[in-house]
Amino acid sequence: MIELNELIDAAQKAFPADQLSPARDASWQLVAEMGWLMIRVPEDDGGLGLGREASTAIHFEMGRVLASMPLIPAQLGLQAVIASPDLPDRASWIERLSAGEYAPLHMLPTKLTCTSDGLVSGTISGVFDADLAIAVVAKLPDAYALVPMDAAGVSIVERPAWDTSRRLFDVVLDGYQPDPSHILAKGDAEVRALHDTLSPEAHLALAADCLGGAAAALDMSVEYTKMRKQFDRPLAMFQALKHRAADLKTRIVAAEALLWNRVRDEEATVAQMGALKALAADVYQFVTEEAIQFHGGIGLTDEHPCHLFMKRAMLNLQLCGSSDLWKERTGREALASLA
Amino acid sequence: MASDTHLEGLRAEVRNWLVANAPKGWREARTHQDFFKSQRAWFLKLVEGGYAIPHWPAEWPGGGRSLAEQKVIYEELAAADAPRLLLSFVSTFHAFSTLEECGTEEQKKRYMPRILEGETWCQGFSEPNAGSDLAALKCKAERISRPDGDVYVINGQKVWSTMAQYADKCLLLVRTSSDGVKQAGITYLLMDMKAPGVSVRPIHQIQHDEEFAEIFLDNVEIPVSERVGEEGAGWAVAQATLASERGLTLMELSYRLRGSLYRVAKLIRDHGHENDQGILRDFGTLVTQVDSVCALADQFLNNRINGIERIGDASNVKNSYSRALRAYSLLGVRLGGMDEQYIAPITFGDLNTGNWMADYMNSYAWTIAGGSEEVQRNIIAERMLEMPREPKGWVL
Repeated sequence: MIELNELIDAAQKAFPADQLSPARDASWQLVAEMGWLMIRVPEDDGGLGLGREASTAIHFEMGRVLASMPLIPAQLGLQAVIASPDLPDRASWIERLSAGEYAPLHMLPTKLTCTSDGLVSGTISGVFDADLAIAVVAKLPDAYALVPMDAAGVSIVERPAWDTSRRLFDVVLDGYQPDPSHILAKGDAEVRALHDTLSPEAHLALAADCLGGAAAALDMSVEYTKMRKQFDRPLAMFQALKHRAADLKTRIVAAEALLWNRVRDEEATVAQMGALKALAADVYQFVTEEAIQFHGGIGLTDEHPCHLFMKRAMLNLQLCGSSDLWKERTGREALASLA
Repeated sequence: MASDTHLEGLRAEVRNWLVANAPKGWREARTHQDFFKSQRAWFLKLVEGGYAIPHWPAEWPGGGRSLAEQKVIYEELAAADAPRLLLSFVSTFHAFSTLEECGTEEQKKRYMPRILEGETWCQGFSEPNAGSDLAALKCKAERISRPDGDVYVINGQKVWSTMAQYADKCLLLVRTSSDGVKQAGITYLLMDMKAPGVSVRPIHQIQHDEEFAEIFLDNVEIPVSERVGEEGAGWAVAQATLASERGLTLMELSYRLRGSLYRVAKLIRDHGHENDQGILRDFGTLVTQVDSVCALADQFLNNRINGIERIGDASNVKNSYSRALRAYSLLGVRLGGMDEQYIAPITFGDLNTGNWMADYMNSYAWTIAGGSEEVQRNIIAERMLEMPREPKGWVL
């Protein structure tokens, strides 16, 4: 536990709460120097071998400051490589990605087609920071693979998103020939197994990002109501606002308790992890919706950071499968287990 | 600090004991008399087994358990679907804590054994005009000299007293002075419910239960020896009463709510909704909400075991639980359809009975009683988020 506290302290020092969305490239440099890319890499693979608690704590802190460097997709991409024992040059990939080269996991569905001669075309939409990447870990038809950015038939197009704390790219494949030495998982069984390994990790990371952000957005709103005066008193004195703030707090702490419970729960199913992320994203969305309302007109201005949280919350809702799907799957699973 | 091995040993011991001793069919109680009988029998059995009063000091049989051990016992009681101890709750938690912290040696000696024999206690705190604002209570006590010892003569009314119609003793807050701040004139007494001048009127509730009662006090005499703490110190003593329960109940209730989800699953199947995406989604949302409440209650107790508690933590647990309970019963009412709109007899002893309209109405108990949801929100906002209190002194 002391280790975890040290990690959180270091994160808060490196990314202070009063500097939201610090510059991406400098942040990435810092993250690599602090060894955060190695946190989840097993010791046998030259990493720090820390568990889910450590990465979750960091993602929570990075959610608080709306971190702009793509730590979540980077960790997941690296975990995809780690989970692929048959990947040629696996050790070298791990070493490079641990040291600061970047191969993000793509966290959205793809629409790709494959010709009879094996050439892949289509768009991998919503890749985080593809301009920094050496490759993207993507689901091709029938396989998970590393798609190198410098391969023939691969190009990138940045698509400005409302969430300015992230940079999203389309990776466009035009007759791309998959390289057998870059395949991570092939065939239904392997693809599903890799998905089920990565999915809980992705959901934990995103849930942590959501709840860190929600906590920061609530703090910011509460501070604002203490400072802003109308009718000769701070807004924070009005019970109508107090009760809403209290409800937000209750929703955040309950979701956070489930986050830490699931971090330690080795038995939790993929659907349960998805439902955790759906809960956390719903909480984030609602807290940031209320945050703008708490701020009043100033919350509608571009210069106030309030909207940045709302926009990140909206994007988080879309990542790693729809909330509707995970809620339904959790319901289905619970129904089956409560026979 | 109890080791994990020790706790797991205790867990196995409690589990085995419950297999042999936990009553079945206790939900079938259709009258208060049946319920009363089964509660009393179960309490006495738990006393005998050594699991009724784990939070009492070690000098009492079955006492002296650490909070971590208490948590294990309550987890197992919930897992075994044993009856909740409702009738003895006020006596073993509220009366016990009050006497333990503020009672005289003589009072402890007199009452603790009687509690273990199954004596039932109720709480006489709230009044018609003192609910959330408890310190505004007006029930009047006048001290009168008598040759065989002074007495307080009580006149007034108490309300929302759980199971008062069955109680032997009452934890009573009265006003002995109107000088100074309203908290200062409150005194804490132990009242015999059979004393002349005490009358109890059960309250007919919307779900057709009579769980609460009003208590009318008409020149009731209580010996001064039945006072807990000094005259005028009742407010502080009442804090000991209310702080007696250390999160165990909400953890137990949360776990039992999780254990009741099968009732919603059954409704989904009975009505052929197994493949209705919308309903499965709402069920999944509820399951996750209940899981998060369990995780929060568990975290709260674990923190307490490790000596960590912030003001407002308990309020968050209570408000999360009560909202999950509401959502649970509401989904049941919705899925049950028109069937639920016809009156069905209620059963006693459980919050989650599958009589969905009754369960829905019962869920208000948790947003209103024990510090209303609004009072909890004030605590969270003012004590945890440090939002300023409104200025005092506003006059109508």
